[in-house]
Formats: sequence, structure tokens, C-alpha cells
Amino acid sequence: MAVKTVLPFGPQHPVLPEPIQLRITLEDESIGQVLPALGYVHRGIEKAGEKNDYPLNVFLVERICGICSATHGLAYCLAIEKLLGIEPPPRANYLRVVWAELHRLHSHLLWLGLLADAFGFESLFMQIWRIRETVMDVLEQTAGNRVIISVCSIGGVRRDLSEQQIEQTMNALADCERQLKAILPAILEDYTVKKRTVGKGVLPTEKAIRLGVVGPTLRASGVAQDLRMTGYAAYGELGFEPVVEQAGDCYARAVVRARECFQTIDLIRRALERLPEGDIQTKPRGNPNGKAIVRVEAPRGELMYFVVGNGTKNLERMRVRTPTLANAPALLEMLPGAEFADVPVITLSIDPCISCTER
Amino acid sequence: MPKMLATVVDNLVSRPATRPHPYQRREAFVRARGRIIFDISRCVFCGACALRCPAGAIRVNRAERELVFMPFQCIVCGACVEGCRRGCAQIIPQYHSPAYSKPEEYYRAPLPVREDDQL
Ligand code: SF4
Ligand code: SF4
Repeated sequence: MAVKTVLPFGPQHPVLPEPIQLRITLEDESIGQVLPALGYVHRGIEKAGEKNDYPLNVFLVERICGICSATHGLAYCLAIEKLLGIEPPPRANYLRVVWAELHRLHSHLLWLGLLADAFGFESLFMQIWRIRETVMDVLEQTAGNRVIISVCSIGGVRRDLSEQQIEQTMNALADCERQLKAILPAILEDYTVKKRTVGKGVLPTEKAIRLGVVGPTLRASGVAQDLRMTGYAAYGELGFEPVVEQAGDCYARAVVRARECFQTIDLIRRALERLPEGDIQTKPRGNPNGKAIVRVEAPRGELMYFVVGNGTKNLERMRVRTPTLANAPALLEMLPGAEFADVPVITLSIDPCISCTER
Repeated sequence: MPKMLATVVDNLVSRPATRPHPYQRREAFVRARGRIIFDISRCVFCGACALRCPAGAIRVNRAERELVFMPFQCIVCGACVEGCRRGCAQIIPQYHSPAYSKPEEYYRAPLPVREDDQL
């Protein structure tokens, strides 16, 4: 009989940028049971959100996640706008799409790099992160900061784009697309990459639906669900088709994200071409009162904000449900039966973001 | 491998993607949010900036005509700049350089002089 060993994977592990612990029961090299332990980076942001004045919270929620901060800001602003009954001007809606999609692009590129890193393909990691740097420069040029861009405000956006900046962004996107086209097919058809990802961590469609998986992880299991189809901000006017793959393994998840990079570039282009003229800010009036739920598509999947206002400057409750919380149970389905060496790749394949899960 | 050949050749002949940082610095982008400075001669000590600051990095003392700014608490969001109607709080693209301590910056304006005082 094989000897059972319990191995702690994390919270500090070379492939995990963030602290989560997986207690893995091993039978020889194959994985039996997996128990996750969370709670290493709880920061109490939801509670802090109840103490701040509601307009200041925009800056707070952007710090929930370092990678999809624009989406957090957008979701919070949408929720408060719902409560106040105000509508941002059309130009602001388009600009929100531009920045949210730029964030998705850099998040997906970051993830592709980390995936390469997870199976030890260092040079590929460097290549992809170099492409990502183009996107980061665009963010810094247009929004003023690389990661926490702070462009959304309640009732609109805080910055406008000039003609020159639109042109610069278009050029950078073309450059990014050219580099991606040169490198992505080489990655995705590479023998080593396929060997490490195809057939690993398979999540069949029914299981994905039953576990309530979201985002690229769900789309890689053959479900065409993307909240951008609901048409918040300006997505309704831009025309949008979700990217779907059928296999449900790590490779499919990589392909979904790679294809979404191109889709995102297209979306930004379309938004910039159709950018309407006009104001970028509607003045918020009064204090939020009532309850509102907003769901948006973050790079990792569905992000939900639930806010309760009581007619004062402070919110009564702010609840955030992040995509990784929904995707973590799937991880516990994928890991048992896999080889121990595949743990990093499978764990990364759901793109876990622990700091936003624990807030 | 043959597919990567173009990229390999490209990388061989192109310049390095990184730069030797402390010796060669990148120009800051014009719209970058580097850090906050105060042109205190314009300040009326209304406190609008402190009210908008999400990080609590500004303290305004109206009676003493004094403004205290904590640059290492500031997250450079720019809310104070938007809130200041006098153009006193400004944002510049140059980042704050790293430091060993986190000193506060004190800004004090001279008391206004009435014209008849000067006679
Ligand atoms: S910096 Fe501007 S907003 Fe702040 S106290 Fe001075 S005048 Fe008022
Ligand atoms: S930039 Fe933001 S954090 Fe810094 S002082 Fe101004 S309002 Fe406060």
C-alpha cells in the first residue's frame, strides 16, 4: 500500500505570488485530498468601506485587487450610481470600457507569463511581460498610473483622452497585437507547453456549472457566459461575443485567455473609434439610499458588488464577491488524481487572486 | 522552435528591453501622477483638499494658517487637486524618491498684510 503524506503547498511558494495554503494528501506522486487554508491577507476592506464617506471608497475598492483595480472601481461606481439614480454621460461610458479592457489585457498577459513561469519556461515569461509593459505604458500615459489607475468616479470618469493620446493608444495596441501574433501561436503549439497543459485539471461542463465557476475558467469548459453580454457601461453598443473553448483543461483555459487578449484589443479599438463627444462627468447629488447589486466581468470572472445605503454619507454595508471565491471550489475538483508536479500549473490555471478573495 | 526563430533573431539584434535604472532614468509621462506639491502662497486654508483626501494625508489648520502634508501617506490619487479651487495643490509627474524616513512637510503662509498696516 502506498504511503500517505500530507504536504503543505504554500502559503509561501515560488509559483504562488499570493498566500494560499493547500494541504495536499499525497499517495506516492498522485494527489488524494486537498484542503485549502485561507486568511493570510485579510485586510478588512469591507469594514473600512463602511467608515469612509462614499465618494472616498472609490479609491479604497481599487486597492482590493492590484490587477483588476479598474474593474473594482467601475463596479463600485455603477452600484452607487444605481442608488443615486444618475447616469454617466456616453463619453464616460466608452472611456470606462477602454480602461477596463486595458486592464483585462494586462491581467491576461500577466497570467500568461505566470503560467509560463509555473512550468519553468523563464524566457517565455520575460517575452510576455515585455509585451505587457507596452500596455502598462499606455495606462500610465493616459490615466497617470501603471496599476491603480483611479479613473472612475461616481457619475463618470476623472480623465479625458485627447486626440493625440487616442492615436498613441492605437499605435501601442497595434504594436502589442503584432508582438502577440508573433509569439502566441509559438507558445500554444509548442510541444513542451502542450505536454504540461493538455488534459491536466479537466473540469467538465456539468461540473463547472454545478460548482458555479465563473469567467475564463467557465468559458474554457464550454459555457458561453460573460457578463459583458449584459451590456453595462458601453459594452451593449460595442457588440460582443464571448470566447468559448470546449476541452475544460489547463490548455483550454490558456487558449481562452490568449484569444481574449485579441478580443480585448478589438474592443478597445472599437470603443476609441466610436468615442462620442461630450461631457465626462455627471455631478452626483445627495446620499445613497437603498440597496443595489451590480455584476461586472473582471479579468478573472464575475465580480459582484452589493451596497446598502441609508441616506447618510456612509454606507451601511458594502459586500464584495470576487471571482476567485467562485473558482476556488473548482480547484478542489481538478486537483485530486493529478500528479504532484502539475499542482502549480493547475492552481494557476484558475488565475487565483487571493488578496481580492480575502479583501 | 522554427516558429520562434523570428522572435529569437529579433531579440538578438534589438536593444535590451530594460534600462540600467539609477544611471539612466526614463522621462516621466506628462500626465503621470508623480507627487503632490503645494504652492502655499495661493492657499486660503479652506480645507477642501483635506476633506477629499482618502488617505488622510493632509491636515489644514486654518487659525494658524498652516498646512501639513504627509507625502508618504499620500497615494497620489489627485482628489485634492480636483478639490482645490485656488490651484494651490498641484500634481507633478516626477515621483517621490525613496527615503530613509517619512518626514511631514509643513507649509506656512505669512499672515496677510492689510494695506493700512504698511503706513
Ligand atoms: S490647498 Fe487648496 S483646497 Fe487645500 S486648503 Fe489650500 S486652498 Fe483649500
Ligand atoms: S493625492 Fe490623494 S492621497 Fe495624496 S494628498 Fe491628495 S487627496 Fe490625499
